Amino acid sequence: MEFKDYYAVLGIDRSATQDEVKRAYRKLARKFHPDVNREQGAEDKFKEVGEAFEVIGDPEKRAAYDQLGENWKPGEDFQPPPNWDAGFEFSGGGPGEGRDYSDFFEQVFAGMRQRQHAPRGGAEFHARGEDHHARIVVDLRDVFQGATRTISLRVPEIDESGHLNIRDRTLNVKIPKGVSEGQTIRLKGQGSPGIGRLPAGDLYLEVSFKPDQLYRVSGRDLYIDLPVAPWEAVLGASVKTPTPAGAVMLKIPPNSFQGRELRIKGRGLPAGEPGDLYAVLKIVLPPADTDRAKKAYEDMARDLAFDPRAKFGA
Amino acid sequence: MTEKGSPNHHPEIVEAGATMTLDELCLSCRVEAGWILELVEHGAIEAIGRSRSDWQFSHVTIVRVAKAKRLERDLALNMPGVALALELLDEIDELRSRLKAAESRR
Repeated sequence: MEFKDYYAVLGIDRSATQDEVKRAYRKLARKFHPDVNREQGAEDKFKEVGEAFEVIGDPEKRAAYDQLGENWKPGEDFQPPPNWDAGFEFSGGGPGEGRDYSDFFEQVFAGMRQRQHAPRGGAEFHARGEDHHARIVVDLRDVFQGATRTISLRVPEIDESGHLNIRDRTLNVKIPKGVSEGQTIRLKGQGSPGIGRLPAGDLYLEVSFKPDQLYRVSGRDLYIDLPVAPWEAVLGASVKTPTPAGAVMLKIPPNSFQGRELRIKGRGLPAGEPGDLYAVLKIVLPPADTDRAKKAYEDMARDLAFDPRAKFGA
Repeated sequence: MTEKGSPNHHPEIVEAGATMTLDELCLSCRVEAGWILELVEHGAIEAIGRSRSDWQFSHVTIVRVAKAKRLERDLALNMPGVALALELLDEIDELRSRLKAAESRR
């Protein structure tokens, strides 16, 4: 098991005062809160910081931890000595509800856990289960084909002995065709189990799209960069353009310019009223890597009275 | 734990216009009605309807209330703080999507 350097996690010195610890924690908690910070890894960092504060922020646990870590060197394997916590009095409660902790924390501080007991005896108790919320990231392709995706959720659960455990749970979810970004989908009965005769809660998933290599999403519309040769843009052409529902031949009108958006109706995200696909023209210059190609450019330079900087004036 | 051979779940899309009552919202998010009232009073969420007895909430409010609950608990925010955080997060979302749209038009 790896020793956790909680001081390093909080970015503070071992001699930091409790006020300094609190300040460091609050700052990091705000920074990495998963509702505030959408970057990958923010949630793990937030949990790590929370765990560190739970120990260092509590003078009793901190004293125990300090003694524990005295002789430890970074990278060393760590085993807590037997009865290491003897002689410390812990007045506070154990780990909070619904959190998951590192192995280190579990092993070292698990003894300080408060047992939680399910209500028992007395009058019958009924309550509908709590609804759960999670975010799901889907592939654009899945939105078109309505694929089935397996998602993993981490669910806090209380076992028979009253301990809190984190259970990894996987669910096969059929992505509804035409779901759009920011929309919520509901899985009935997949939240917390109900108590007594009342039903389980629901699971709500907020949908966001994984960035696609080809298409960009804007509402129900899609955008794709379409590379074209200068003569295709200028003279007009018919070019094969991919769309999520299969390639189409797209007519490029003569005298098209860089960045022109050509609309392919109804080829955006599927819906009652489907979005459109916009092909954005990107003019690509052929390289002048042969004598013939060079000559073609030289001929153009000579034959065309073209000044790309005419707007600048003299 | 993997639920082997578990059936495929067919979720439903929550329609933008769907609404729920105050009781349903409290039940869904496991919060007290008084706390929802505070959210409404601070303008953090919007209630449809004139009197509390016929208040309706847009279904997407669930996500917002759950977020408010996490912010309050994890960052020890008071209600004005929660309302401010939600507003700023909205603004960031809005700016991000505008940035994304602008980038896609380049």
